[in-house]
Amino acid sequence: MDRVELLSPAGDLERLKVTLLYGADAVYIGGQKYSLRANATNFSIEEIKEGCDFAHKLNKKVYLTLNIVFHNEDMDGVEEYIKDVVEAGIDAFIVSDPFIISHIKTNYPNVEVHLSTQNSTSNYSAVEYFKEEGINRVVLARELSKEEIKEIIDKTKVDIEVFIHGAMCTCFSGRCALSNYVTNRDANRGGCSQVCRFAFETSEEKKFTMATKDLNMATFIKDLIEIGVKSLKVEGRMRSLYYLATVIGTYRELIDSIYNNDLTEEKLKLLEYRLSRVANREVSTHYFMKEADETDQYYTGRQEISNQDYLGQVISYDKNQKLVKIFERNYFELGDTLELFTPSGEVITFELEKLFDEELNEIDVARHPDNIYYLYLDTEIEIPEYSMIRLIKKRAE
Amino acid sequence: MKLLIEPSNKQELNIDSIDGLIIALEDYAIQSPVYYSLEEIKELRNANPNIELFISINKNLLNKDIEPLTKILIELDKLNINGIFFYDLALLKLKKELNLKTDLIWSQTHMVNNYKTCNYYHTKGVKYALLGKEITLEEIIEILNNTTITPMVEVLGLPSVAFSKRKLISNYYKDLNKSSKNSLEVLEKVTDTTYLLTEDQNGTSFFMKDIVNGTSIIKDLFANGLQYIIMRGYGLEAELFKEIIVDTKTYLQTNCTDQKYIEKYQKLGTNTNFFFKKTIYQVKKNG
Repeated sequence: MDRVELLSPAGDLERLKVTLLYGADAVYIGGQKYSLRANATNFSIEEIKEGCDFAHKLNKKVYLTLNIVFHNEDMDGVEEYIKDVVEAGIDAFIVSDPFIISHIKTNYPNVEVHLSTQNSTSNYSAVEYFKEEGINRVVLARELSKEEIKEIIDKTKVDIEVFIHGAMCTCFSGRCALSNYVTNRDANRGGCSQVCRFAFETSEEKKFTMATKDLNMATFIKDLIEIGVKSLKVEGRMRSLYYLATVIGTYRELIDSIYNNDLTEEKLKLLEYRLSRVANREVSTHYFMKEADETDQYYTGRQEISNQDYLGQVISYDKNQKLVKIFERNYFELGDTLELFTPSGEVITFELEKLFDEELNEIDVARHPDNIYYLYLDTEIEIPEYSMIRLIKKRAE
Repeated sequence: MKLLIEPSNKQELNIDSIDGLIIALEDYAIQSPVYYSLEEIKELRNANPNIELFISINKNLLNKDIEPLTKILIELDKLNINGIFFYDLALLKLKKELNLKTDLIWSQTHMVNNYKTCNYYHTKGVKYALLGKEITLEEIIEILNNTTITPMVEVLGLPSVAFSKRKLISNYYKDLNKSSKNSLEVLEKVTDTTYLLTEDQNGTSFFMKDIVNGTSIIKDLFANGLQYIIMRGYGLEAELFKEIIVDTKTYLQTNCTDQKYIEKYQKLGTNTNFFFKKTIYQVKKNG
């Protein structure tokens, strides 16, 4: 039986590599044209090729978003662009425009096409339409329940992808032009200014807000696997390396535990706790078990919170001197309890006993972000590049 | 050029002056001020056999909608309906499955923006396309000059801006611990723009509160061969809307030559939406 795919966002080449190393089976990226994140870094053709080569060596896949809503002018050059991306080795395009779907299926029958959630496909009959058009996978609307998703899978037998984690739109994808009207930035061509997170005046005493809580489906991954979902998608091409490493690593462990039949309640709680530490908003499962209601959104202007758990990224580990070289991101000090986690899923929890600056002078506190520090750690576990360190507990005062 | 109107209530149909009506089907349409049951549509068709009658079925359909909608489509197909405005691609699948003779209008609110995709839909048996409201007049004319489909352009009405499945007005009033309402006006302070929200069992609709006044571009659309313009009554006083319909019909019959028509309807305001304003989407260059 094929295992469910864990699909990660990757805003640049480094994120692509990190998320694949942390356990994603595939990544979705945006090119420098035609993607709904026009203001992300995005990939050049050369970078797409490098990303595909990297992924294919790991037996993993890369998908390119080509899911803007095209205006006349956007059609100029798109066919040449598709050709270049195919030659770079892409495994699938994520598309919303049926003309583009038809063009790719006609000219590159071996390249998969996935229907973007921008189409907000929400019933089996629409899925069947696209099946007849040759679509290989449908990313469903985020407004569907477990029963609705299952019925679509059972009736159509089309590969179905659903979002499991990250920010949510307030409105149906593709059916929102708030950004166009309020800020003149075209939401459906990658310019969304997230007007649904603005606060509006009304005649009442309190401002009107409609910002949604984030999606977190960790509790229902087993259900999604059981009803036959083929791909579990994480949102966030513009998220940080640490966020992606943590989220992808956590879902990798969760999915593997489900297949290995060793997911205990205690382990699920630990994994959910890890996800909660990188979340900057409250979370919900939105439409999966009920209609989204008043508990799934915010009523105040400010929603984002942040913590300083992420301490730094590992550059190397010297086994002889037992020193971990890191690039620091947040303040920490001797006596703090830290956790080093690796792309392969190893987790080492330790109390920091010795700390050195870049010149190997022994110090008590790492207080300067973006500086190099060395941490003493005695371990036999392999600590590869892209391992990361997070704070578990501050030292007792 | 023909004039289609969407009435704002069931009492105000000024049948004499229009070429056709757009009627929202109860339970399967959204963002309309008034909805009609199948029985009411039958009565309307019987009472007005000579006008073009279009039905709007523009909600995002769910699995549970498909079976009952199938039965309604079979009934509508017997009524000599001129076309069905659709958002959900299930309609294309159902037309083929049920071998319906009724024509379709591609009406995916913010997505009908280029001629190549219009032409794609035409090859799939879709006769008309209602062009998006977020494109420029120049883009509309480029579509008119390059498409095989029959385009329609909305020139008057409150533009629909967004649609959510969430009950956002109810949620707001629950938080305020007050009784909910069916509509709410919200003001975006930076742009000093008011939006009208309405809520029903399908979710929450967002409209711009300012009437879009495209009366001045009708002559350009006419000159470029457009066959249908649409005017929506929502947000307009009933008497004013009737007056606009009568005047517009006369204007069309005189090949859009009467400058006084444009001058008269300057009174509807200066909001020409995106007809002369291009949206941007990239605020920084890729490195």
